[in-house]
Amino acid sequence: MEWMKRLARRIRILLTRSRVEREMDDEMRLHIEMEIEDLMRRGMSREEARRKALLRFGGVERYKEQGRDARGVRWLVDMGQDFRYAARTFRKNPGYTFVAALTLALGIGATTAIFSVVDGVLLKPLPYHDPGQLVIVSQQNSPTNRWPLSVVDYQAIEEGARSFESVSGLSRSRAVLTGGDQPERVAVGYVTAEWFNTLGLHPAEGRGFLPGEDQPGAELVAVISHAFRERQYGRDAETLGRTLVLDGQGYTVVGVLAPGVRSMAGWRAEIWPILQLQPPPRRGPFFIQAVARLRDGVSQAEAARDLAGVSERIFPLWADSFQDREARLTPFPLRDVMVGNVGGALVLLFGAVIFVLLIALANVANLSLARASTREREVALRASLGASRGRLTRQLLVESITLAALGGLVGTLLSVIALDALLSLGPQLPRIDEVRLDGRVLGFTAFITIASAVLSGLAPLIHGISSDLGAALRSGGRTGSEGRRANALRGGLVTAEFALALPLLAGAVLLFTSLERLQKVDPGFDPENLIVARASLAGNRYQDGTSVVGFWDNALPGLAEIPGVEAVGLSSAAPPNNPGMINNFDLRDRPVPPGSSQPAVPWVIVSPGYFEAMGVRLLQGRLPDITDTFDTPRVVAVSSRWAERFYPGEDVLGRQLYAGGATTNPVTVVGVVSDVKYQGLAGDDESVVYESYTQNPWRSVNLVIRGRGTSVTAAQVRSRLNALDPDVPLSNVQTAEQRLAASVDRPRYWATLVGIFAAVGLVLAAVGIYGVLSYSVSKQAREIGIRMALGAQASAVRRSVVGRGLGQAALGLGVGLAGALYLTRWLEGLLFGVSPTDPASFGLVVLLLLVVALAACYWPARRATKVDPVRVLTEE
Amino acid sequence: MARSKADLLQGTLDMLILKTLELGKLHGWGISKRIREMSRDVLEVNQGSLYPALYRLEDRGLIESEWGISPEGRRAKFYSLTGSGKKALREETRSWALFSEAVQLILQTTH
Repeated sequence: MEWMKRLARRIRILLTRSRVEREMDDEMRLHIEMEIEDLMRRGMSREEARRKALLRFGGVERYKEQGRDARGVRWLVDMGQDFRYAARTFRKNPGYTFVAALTLALGIGATTAIFSVVDGVLLKPLPYHDPGQLVIVSQQNSPTNRWPLSVVDYQAIEEGARSFESVSGLSRSRAVLTGGDQPERVAVGYVTAEWFNTLGLHPAEGRGFLPGEDQPGAELVAVISHAFRERQYGRDAETLGRTLVLDGQGYTVVGVLAPGVRSMAGWRAEIWPILQLQPPPRRGPFFIQAVARLRDGVSQAEAARDLAGVSERIFPLWADSFQDREARLTPFPLRDVMVGNVGGALVLLFGAVIFVLLIALANVANLSLARASTREREVALRASLGASRGRLTRQLLVESITLAALGGLVGTLLSVIALDALLSLGPQLPRIDEVRLDGRVLGFTAFITIASAVLSGLAPLIHGISSDLGAALRSGGRTGSEGRRANALRGGLVTAEFALALPLLAGAVLLFTSLERLQKVDPGFDPENLIVARASLAGNRYQDGTSVVGFWDNALPGLAEIPGVEAVGLSSAAPPNNPGMINNFDLRDRPVPPGSSQPAVPWVIVSPGYFEAMGVRLLQGRLPDITDTFDTPRVVAVSSRWAERFYPGEDVLGRQLYAGGATTNPVTVVGVVSDVKYQGLAGDDESVVYESYTQNPWRSVNLVIRGRGTSVTAAQVRSRLNALDPDVPLSNVQTAEQRLAASVDRPRYWATLVGIFAAVGLVLAAVGIYGVLSYSVSKQAREIGIRMALGAQASAVRRSVVGRGLGQAALGLGVGLAGALYLTRWLEGLLFGVSPTDPASFGLVVLLLLVVALAACYWPARRATKVDPVRVLTEE
Repeated sequence: MARSKADLLQGTLDMLILKTLELGKLHGWGISKRIREMSRDVLEVNQGSLYPALYRLEDRGLIESEWGISPEGRRAKFYSLTGSGKKALREETRSWALFSEAVQLILQTTH
């Protein structure tokens, strides 16, 4: 219980501190007075007694300090005092405080914003029940080639796989919603009955799906997103039980998702209708994403073996429609599939922003260091008055903590703005809905703020403790050459800044070079005056191919009549980055060995006008056209790259292939056309097969319309289509130029962000070297003055200042170069057409940094030559 | 002042303070005066160092303080022993006796 009493006493002392201080004063003064009186009683004069009494007592202030220590509340009291002291110091130095806090705020704010993206996309667990157990099952026949499941595969897993607690299927799609003012094309996710149970995520209102609802013949039901419900029905309207018409089918709404759930398993959709699987006539088509939950204790490897067994069992049953014996059903963690390939880029971005933070910290450390040396005299004075080293150290630490806290606070505010910009200006990243500034992120911010305080406070601390206090007092804290150690520390910080800036800048230059080369890639078509828009046929009128062909046969000439239209075509693909469908095939004269994988390339359904509108040239033979019908032999055109890949140096016209796993009814190559990019500008394989819509009709296609100078509007196109059928929506209207720009959104995003970080890093490094040199020039004014008085030339003085600065920068560049050559290998996957160690880019970066360093050194050097020897020498 | 000597003095000073307070409460100057008198002016401590020692003892709960009027008619802070202070003094006295006896023995045998 003793400690409790003690604690109580300390708290009481703490609360009544000023009284205690006063009492201590009174007590000691009384003591000395009594001593004086006693000595006077023994016959001394007042003066003599007083002198003797003070001598006997010893240093009053020293014993007060010790007395405070003895009370044990010392550190708490001091801490409060330190904070007040720090606040006072900052108020007295608004310039220093502003610059240092703002630098910290920039560093901390940027780091916080990037971290919240990294956390939301990469680190946070998926927002489902026990998300580690969720996998996506895909078909795979090589490490890089995966595709979704067919009905056969899906049903075989449902029935035959033992590794899963539950299995569900998703078909990502878009459907035409009718019944409103205008037909509308919306994103939908058809899912099986077990979907919500598998994820462990249930509608906030109404219900999920019941067992059996995914069987053919059951009532068609759907769950809708909260946003869709508000948009479609208004906030308060009764929603459950209403009917939605999708692609001509009526669905009853049975549930509404919670407001935060905008996407599930990485698919962003407004309507989640039930997926009813019809009994399959063959193994394909492949369109189902199977999401399954592993049983407790079943590893992914065990599930993979289980699924491989399923693949083996079903293969012989469907061998006539699917010949790839190597294809295996394989589980992949849901999270990995959702995050995809952005992980590397985000980690890289995070690394870049940490570099910026470190450069900012080095600058703040330098600032505080410069300030600490001008305060040497104050520190020395306090030390001689009895303040202990520990006490002074803590004072400096408290100052850097206060500063960092200020920076952290402002930085957090900045990060709110930065994050908003990151999300609204950036491309669609996976899981972006889950990115927010939450407790996790703020915890991280607090951590880096404390780390910043320690790191930026360290330098002045080392300096403050090691400097010779006595010498500081004598010299008056103004002149004289400074400690070698402090100079080395400052130089070291400048070196570190340049060493950090170089990899940042190298990364930015490489990414921009890569982006530039990517944008210069020939997409294979002429993007000027070209509009691309999606048109979709829906409803019961288009059940068979003939009716679809009939619609397009009528629509295309109508669109060509719009004034200003030069050519019109349709296509199932949309260059440069949407191949539409990728189909496997087998060459009739050179089949792959039995059981092995067939080649697969984009299989594009087109009208003859497509080639004209796009500016794609016919190189050999003829184009598939409207004379090729259901009643004539199937024909295709191939790209010149396809011809080169499969028949190098040979004639391709007249060759035949079996498409999509068929073994009968081959298609014949009748023409060769020029190459077009369908798999992104960075994609290097341009092998494509083109087939006419009259032989393979699609209901949802891209219209490509080439104008002649005057712009063709979406409204004109829409009115022509709706004259034929009012239920045909036109969506995704874009110019080809917009599509090209959008296809490099992500590379541009990464390059821009790293570029911004590099620019900030460069400015900070320049400010750093400038500040250090200016400071040392002002410190050495006397020395320089003497040298000039003794006849040193201005140019020599300038050379010595510039030389010192450049030496520090060059050392940093050396270290940075080595680091960058090592680090840029992480860029490999993000670069196109440029090596991660591209000598030209590295040369440019080094040159740029040297120029910046030189410019930053020049002004302090100039000021050094302006030192007036007479003035500095008489100033003492 | 060398640190080792200060440390030695400090522990001893604590014991001496407790001893002077055994007879009743005293203010700071009274304590220093009594130490001088009791040691027949042999022990002369730096008077100021008394105060940190007093605060330390108070913090440890060995003595307590209250403000009162001195015989000279001045407002002063008086210190007195607490129960645990008395116990500490007994222990300190015993171990000091043991210690000095041992030192004595060593010094005698060496001669």
